[in-house]
Amino acid sequence: MAKGSDVSRRRLIQSTAAVAVVSTLPQYARAAGSIKIGMPLPLTGPVAGVGAQMRRACEFWAKQVNAKGGLLGRPVEFIISDTEGNPATAVRKAQEMVERNGVRILTGIAVSSEALATVPRLAEWDTIFVSGDNGDGRLTAEALVPNFFRPNVSGPMGTRAVALHLRDSPMKKLFGLGMDYAWGHNSMEVFEAECKRAGKNFAGAVFSPTGTKDFSTYITRIRQSGAEGVYLVLSGDDNAAFLSQAKQYRLGEKVQLLTELIDQMTINGTGDATVGLIGGSRYPYTLDNPVNKAFVAAWQAEYRTPPDMFEGDQYQSCVVLQAGIEKAGSIEAAKLRAALEGLEVDSIKGRVVMRACDHQGEQQGFVIKIVKREGMAHPVPEVIATYPADRVTPPCNKMVYDN
Amino acid sequence: MDLFPFLVTQCANAFSQAALLFFLGVGLTLIFGIMRIVNFAHGSFYMLGAFIGYTVAHVTGSFWLGLLLSPVLAGLIGTSFEMGLLRRLYRRDTSAFLMVTFGLTLVMGEAIRLLWGVQGLQLPLPSMLAGIVFLFDEPFPVYRLFLIAAGAVLAVAIWQFLERTRLGLLIRATSQNAEMVHALGVDVNLVRSGIFGMGCGLAAFGGVLAAPLVTASLGMAANAIVDSFVIVIIGGMGSFPGSLCAAVLVAFVQVFGTYYFPDFAIAAMYLLMLLVLAIRPGGLLGQEA
Amino acid sequence: MGGWRLFFLAAILLAAAPLGLPVFAMTLLTEALILGLLAMSLDLMVGYTRLISFGHAAAYGLGAYACGYLALHTSLPLPVALLAAALLAGVVAVGVAWVCTLVTGVSFSMLTLAFAQLLYALAFKWTSVTGASDGLAGIPRRAGPFGLTVLETRNGYYYLVLACMLGAFALCRLLVNAPFGAVLRGIRENEAKTLALGYNTRLYKISIVAVAFALGGLAGALYAPFAGFANTDLLFWLFSGKVLIMVIVGGQGTLIGPVLGAAFFMLAEHVLSAYTDSWALFLGLIFIGFVIFAPEGIWGLLNARMLKRARA
Repeated sequence: MAKGSDVSRRRLIQSTAAVAVVSTLPQYARAAGSIKIGMPLPLTGPVAGVGAQMRRACEFWAKQVNAKGGLLGRPVEFIISDTEGNPATAVRKAQEMVERNGVRILTGIAVSSEALATVPRLAEWDTIFVSGDNGDGRLTAEALVPNFFRPNVSGPMGTRAVALHLRDSPMKKLFGLGMDYAWGHNSMEVFEAECKRAGKNFAGAVFSPTGTKDFSTYITRIRQSGAEGVYLVLSGDDNAAFLSQAKQYRLGEKVQLLTELIDQMTINGTGDATVGLIGGSRYPYTLDNPVNKAFVAAWQAEYRTPPDMFEGDQYQSCVVLQAGIEKAGSIEAAKLRAALEGLEVDSIKGRVVMRACDHQGEQQGFVIKIVKREGMAHPVPEVIATYPADRVTPPCNKMVYDN
Repeated sequence: MDLFPFLVTQCANAFSQAALLFFLGVGLTLIFGIMRIVNFAHGSFYMLGAFIGYTVAHVTGSFWLGLLLSPVLAGLIGTSFEMGLLRRLYRRDTSAFLMVTFGLTLVMGEAIRLLWGVQGLQLPLPSMLAGIVFLFDEPFPVYRLFLIAAGAVLAVAIWQFLERTRLGLLIRATSQNAEMVHALGVDVNLVRSGIFGMGCGLAAFGGVLAAPLVTASLGMAANAIVDSFVIVIIGGMGSFPGSLCAAVLVAFVQVFGTYYFPDFAIAAMYLLMLLVLAIRPGGLLGQEA
Repeated sequence: MGGWRLFFLAAILLAAAPLGLPVFAMTLLTEALILGLLAMSLDLMVGYTRLISFGHAAAYGLGAYACGYLALHTSLPLPVALLAAALLAGVVAVGVAWVCTLVTGVSFSMLTLAFAQLLYALAFKWTSVTGASDGLAGIPRRAGPFGLTVLETRNGYYYLVLACMLGAFALCRLLVNAPFGAVLRGIRENEAKTLALGYNTRLYKISIVAVAFALGGLAGALYAPFAGFANTDLLFWLFSGKVLIMVIVGGQGTLIGPVLGAAFFMLAEHVLSAYTDSWALFLGLIFIGFVIFAPEGIWGLLNARMLKRARA
């Protein structure tokens, strides 16, 4: 009896193991010879909205490219996987794409903590990662690795644009409210330094934990500071909650709200609460240049809404990647890396230069104001200031500015 | 700001926050008191309430209809879940409830994502509630006053319900000795289903009321679960007046704590819970030790 | 029971795995074993002593951060770092358990949650040591003592994890089969009676929590160099909840069940999410299904099948 149960036990274990193994066998490309790009994205969880935007941007870009015969004569294929916004899952998914699907290029990875966890493994995987939206300053400073490239705007760059705009403004006293984690603190440091440089009075900053639902105390603090403007470094649900509540307290009537970034999704989700907000935008679709106009027209034909901030930034990253691959004539990491360094691309945001020293894309910075426009269902980001790349991009490998 | 106006404003803030916490916690207290279930899905009903409220308000144009219908619908869903699944598990131990309500949380979260999408949705307020009043020259939203009033009305209503009505009596009796109530010829199963539905409905009610403040979003459930459990534990499991006290206490600690010690904002609630349980292991007004 | 025979069988199968399995499968298997160790450690509390913890992520996170910090800032060989991390977790657990065992039932569970969240808050704020919200990145796999560089390779690391897992399993097995284990089961079934029999139940509870945390800390310490990072998500209560579900779905109170549960949870999430964005829906339905149709969990299912086959 004992022997029989051992054998059947063994068989059951073996068959289960077989099923598990089959699901991990290397998968060969459905389209022979397609260029596979891996995109670990948060498709569920708190940042699912950002993930959805990035996915749409890449699908749009892939469609355009494949309609013209693909890259290097090969079709482009995205391998998309859900990371739930969790770094452990992101690394696992990225590793699967590399080891099982034979991917050599990664993009997506929306959350900075996911990016920071993945980036040290790029050398081991011999894979290039082109960021779509990661803003953490350290990714091009202390945490820089050779295989990482950032064509999008970083947190410090966004803050810098707003701060430059402030130099011309009559506001003298400024306060800050940020989310209590790396990005919030990092951007606030840059803002404080910029305020001092511009001769403004930085009255202090307060940080709210991620997941704060009630901002009444913080609104009180802002009011009490006597500041004329408050710089917000908030995102996601916290951003939406704060803006809604600030509107209810009529905070905007007393204090000018400034923000590092605001996307259309948040504008739509908070109704009129964002009207009058001045902030940085990594990509405002209202940009007036021929490349962008063509892009927006094509996008609207496909999706019926204008492209959102993360969609534009991700699209630009795809375009930069495309230029790099075409210049290198290959997707091998060493050749692609060499091609991307120093690459110049005329993109929807104007000229982008991928500088070699820290792989940051030098580009213009935009300051927008949210206004109501006739005929538009939701408020619209209107560009009120543009700053050239050399003023907005920080010095190499640094997160703070010299001038 | 001078001290007195400051205190008044902050107290008003705290009470409005207490109201939201109370709506969240009272449903779970009732459920736990009667059924001793650890309902992990409570936060999901809160979130569901916000989204249903959004849809009803958008379709009918009325915030009030959303406020009314959302708890009813959520309550019905909760009751059917209880009757269909939970009822079979009463002889089992805590682990079974944990896992089934965890599964329900996953299912509901994904269902909401499929039905409403990933974007945060705004629940607009009726113009009567969208204005401000001035407390000592400081603007204060009318909506928060409404929340305080709603909280007070609900607290009184539930209190009267438990004390004066027959169903309330049955509920209190069932929580003390279900066997006896059954022996007296009452269908205890029906009482349980009703309570579970009521608890879910109360959570949904809280969700609709919170939505104009935080927007209806997929992250609501996770935040709400821990808050609701903390309220129940601090107040004392199964104690309705306890949940009211706990809501007020937690809100005040959070509002004033965040103001004076912003670095401890993350930890404030947990430190409070530790303190309360160290002094009174059964919670503020609970019976168990 | 055929317990030890099955143990050796599994050990041999797992040791042979690198010969037959593709590369990514080995990565998954290594992570599954690490999670299995964590789940098994929780089972000591949940399954054998009915101490339901909502905060076991604290052990994992503590171990991961400790080992990560030692790997990044000292030149201690890996096995020493692992031991140190596990010890740290065990020592911290004594203090935590001392407070938590003041109460029982759901209050106990909530206190474990409170401690885990406090640790989370600490990790979030203590930037110089923990790297705050970004955590520790680039954690290297250090060589073993005597220059055992084999531990730096993928398969070498797998064998290290396997050795820890098997060793921990044997230790737990001995523990629960010893008189100590009998007292634990007594506490699980009827604490009042066990107390009346003269046992200091609180001391036993604190001890088992310390052992559970030490082993959980070991799991976390193994994870940090494996993934190359340690961050605050490892301490968050959502992760504690997942580990608890792993124990229950695998079959609590069996030691082997939770290991299978961990592998199952991880694999199910991974495979389902490759096929559909709605993987959470199906996973939730699977768990609900388990509660209704397989109350003893995966191990219970396997056992029942074996019994049926044996009788037929």
